[in-house]
Amino acid sequence: MALRGQLTAVLAGFLLSSVSSSVALADDPTFRIEFKDGTINPQRLEVPAKTRFRLELVNLGDTPAEFESLELRKEKVLAPQSDSVMVIRTLDPGEYAFFDDFHPGAAPAVLVAR
Amino acid sequence: MTTQDFNILFVIWRECIEALLVIGILNAWLAHRPPAERRVGRMWLWSGVGVGIIGAVALATLLLTIGDALSDEAQEYFQTAIVLIAAGLIVQMVFWMRRHGRTLKSELQASLDQVADRSNWFGVFVLAAIAVLREGSEAAVFLYGTMASAAGSNLAAAIAAGLGLVAAFATYWLLQVGSRVLSWRTFFRVTEVMLLFLAASLLMSGVGHLISLDVLPTLSPRLWDTSWLLPDSGMLGGLVSGLTGYRAQPVLMELLVYAAYWTFVLWILYRPRALRPA
Repeated sequence: MALRGQLTAVLAGFLLSSVSSSVALADDPTFRIEFKDGTINPQRLEVPAKTRFRLELVNLGDTPAEFESLELRKEKVLAPQSDSVMVIRTLDPGEYAFFDDFHPGAAPAVLVAR
Repeated sequence: MTTQDFNILFVIWRECIEALLVIGILNAWLAHRPPAERRVGRMWLWSGVGVGIIGAVALATLLLTIGDALSDEAQEYFQTAIVLIAAGLIVQMVFWMRRHGRTLKSELQASLDQVADRSNWFGVFVLAAIAVLREGSEAAVFLYGTMASAAGSNLAAAIAAGLGLVAAFATYWLLQVGSRVLSWRTFFRVTEVMLLFLAASLLMSGVGHLISLDVLPTLSPRLWDTSWLLPDSGMLGGLVSGLTGYRAQPVLMELLVYAAYWTFVLWILYRPRALRPA
């Protein structure tokens, strides 16, 4: 989850800086997902399969949110009114549910890889 | 209590449960050791908790102030390392507790063992620190964010957050009481299984990260989908997957690692006594 990773910059950052800078490509297709106090927008997002892309995660709400998906093997905590970027390397075609784990009662959304 | 308030309570409890399991079981276990060993062990355990709390608050502050300025990939490598180290330490701790707990030693013998045990105490320290740090930083952001948004307008949310903490500590207390009420043998059996499942879950989380980082191949598309029966996300499903490593739609790599883990653990537990280290 994102918070744990924050320490990376301090601890592992030196080791990994070369790796991470070389992969931080801006030309990957980017898709935006907005969280707002338990709602996710869009509820259904189409993304390319077998292609690297980026998810721009934005928390517009006043409460913290956590992007979580075991199917995508990704998790990231978003403070209120903050944003973050997540890189997805490759997806087989199919549907991948994701949700706001800090609002566990709310409906999940789905990423559709084609 | 509204659904949202219950959510708050639940999330706080869930974020604390993993650390409380590890700490609660180690602490209960130490309660049954000779006094000298108990003192040393608890000192290491609670220093680990202290370091973990400081680290968690520092991480949470970092996230709330500078936000997500750090590389996504570097963060994921760090998470991977953390969960794999934690999984390894838990397994090692369970085996050590077994070996060590078989006989109740006199205080003299215990003190003679102290040198040999020093590396294990350091393991206890690291494990406690990681356990608190892992979910603690998230709990801190969640708590802070919820309190900030609740300030003035929503007292119920603040109360719900407080109740979540109370529920978490009640769980810890239950573990301590359990260690006294149940026979020691039963308590140890049950908590041992819980710890081994928790380690399995951490291992699966590490494997997931490695797959998502393209370090490990998936080896197959998703093999099956049991989410109709029990999803691996949401309230109940998320808790189950977090405490056991359950996946509703596993790929072959996940299946192989999970099977290999339990084969290894069961082999160590049930191999012929003659082969066991003294």
